[in-house]
Amino acid sequence: MTEEGKAVYRHSLVTRITHWLFFIAFMALVSSGLQVFNAAPYLDAADKSNPARRVLSFDSPQDGIGTTTIFGHTLKTTGLFGWTADGMGAQAARAFPSWLTIPAYQSLADGRRWHFFFAWIMAGCGFFYIVSGLARRNLSELILRPRDIPKIVPMQLYYLRLRKEPPEHGTYNPLQKLAYTLVIFVFAPLLVLSGLALSPGFDAWLHPITSVFGGRQYARLWHFVLMIALLGFFVTHVILVATQGVFNQMRSMITGWYRLRSSDGTGV
Amino acid sequence: MKRQLFIATSLSAALAGCSAIGTKLNDNARFHSVLDSAEALDQSIIGTHGLAKEYRAQDISTNFPLDSLPTPMNSYYNAIVRDQFRSYKLVVDGAVERPHAFTLAQLEKMPQKRDITRHDCVEGWSAIAQWDGVPLADVLALVRPRAGAKFVVFHSMDSDQQGTAYYESLNLHQATHPQTLLALRQNGKPITADRGAPVRLRVPTQLGYKSAKWVRRIEIVGSYGSLFGGKGGYWEDQGYEWYAGI
Repeated sequence: MTEEGKAVYRHSLVTRITHWLFFIAFMALVSSGLQVFNAAPYLDAADKSNPARRVLSFDSPQDGIGTTTIFGHTLKTTGLFGWTADGMGAQAARAFPSWLTIPAYQSLADGRRWHFFFAWIMAGCGFFYIVSGLARRNLSELILRPRDIPKIVPMQLYYLRLRKEPPEHGTYNPLQKLAYTLVIFVFAPLLVLSGLALSPGFDAWLHPITSVFGGRQYARLWHFVLMIALLGFFVTHVILVATQGVFNQMRSMITGWYRLRSSDGTGV
Repeated sequence: MKRQLFIATSLSAALAGCSAIGTKLNDNARFHSVLDSAEALDQSIIGTHGLAKEYRAQDISTNFPLDSLPTPMNSYYNAIVRDQFRSYKLVVDGAVERPHAFTLAQLEKMPQKRDITRHDCVEGWSAIAQWDGVPLADVLALVRPRAGAKFVVFHSMDSDQQGTAYYESLNLHQATHPQTLLALRQNGKPITADRGAPVRLRVPTQLGYKSAKWVRRIEIVGSYGSLFGGKGGYWEDQGYEWYAGI
């Protein structure tokens, strides 16, 4: 039985530090990555650049008009994508607007510096978190096990209010385990690898990795798609935190202590 | 619905705040030098290992983009174009035992290497071409770098609108990489004036800005710190990494 109102120590110091550092690094990586993307604002499903295999592009067919073309469908996106704020008080032919990029003004050189610095912070955090979590065995409660799989659908039904009770679970429910396992062991490592696969130095060293992604431009495409997937997880994560006791959740990720609620698992 | 709108607005505000703080930090010289520290890690871990992937003839790009600075407009370049590069000489000097000036005919007589490799631009695009040329290692073996020689600097004939000349540099390890070529031909034809004629560098293991066009002089040095902006290349002087492998 859940002892409602009882405070439990849920997040170790390592978890809390890596969590917030990862968050800062991820924001810096998204923003500087969009800055880097602006230098060639299109994605091709190919090895070399090939307009015939263009999946996404942001253009400005004429001054004052911005368009987004995705899978051959062109939408007018003036002000948001294609023709946007240039960070110096004017509008210009620019894929992502200045308020989304680091630095705000167009600077591929600076965007790259930020990206490669925070890539080390993010990869370092992820690596340290996984190694310390495995060493201290506290990662195991997060990892999806075969026995959790049949509980995924009932848990989703509970979230959708089609079921009164959640299935029996530990500290983390089966949907949380599915999301965390995918993010920590699949999406984040693939994001790092697809980024490395873009590097001509890394490609020369280990070109099977670039080839697995389908080539250099494909790696750029996957890097972008994985960023969107991680950003999607981040948005869902923030929405859930905001709606499931934001004060309690934030406190536990800052101090480590979490106050149990009636909807929580048994804590086993 | 109100709650979702509130969350969406907060997330946008967080991203905008992140960009604003980032821009401020970016303009702080001390923070910028912290960012620069990552370059040493990239270089030591990724480095210049292995060979760039080689492609088949059918993979060659039909439309290889033109990039960087425009074709040189100076009187020297006009003169050598007019006499079809017969008076062109590639000077190789600096910290070497036997400085030498190579004519185009001499370079063409040296053993040629042919590669079909991908050119990766720093902006993000890629294009594949076939290149024929003299391995830079062969030229360096003829002039014999002296003890203390560490970098190979390429002086180009082009310059930007402010008159700043293009130059680039490689360390000896990168310069003697078997795929680093002094390219004389692209896709079987002599390199055209707008693509770096008569001699351009090809470094397929690094980003495109390392592959200097219109090379007139190769200077071997112990350090590039006293040349131009001191960062080892035209784009490096403007903030790009000297290690262009990522």
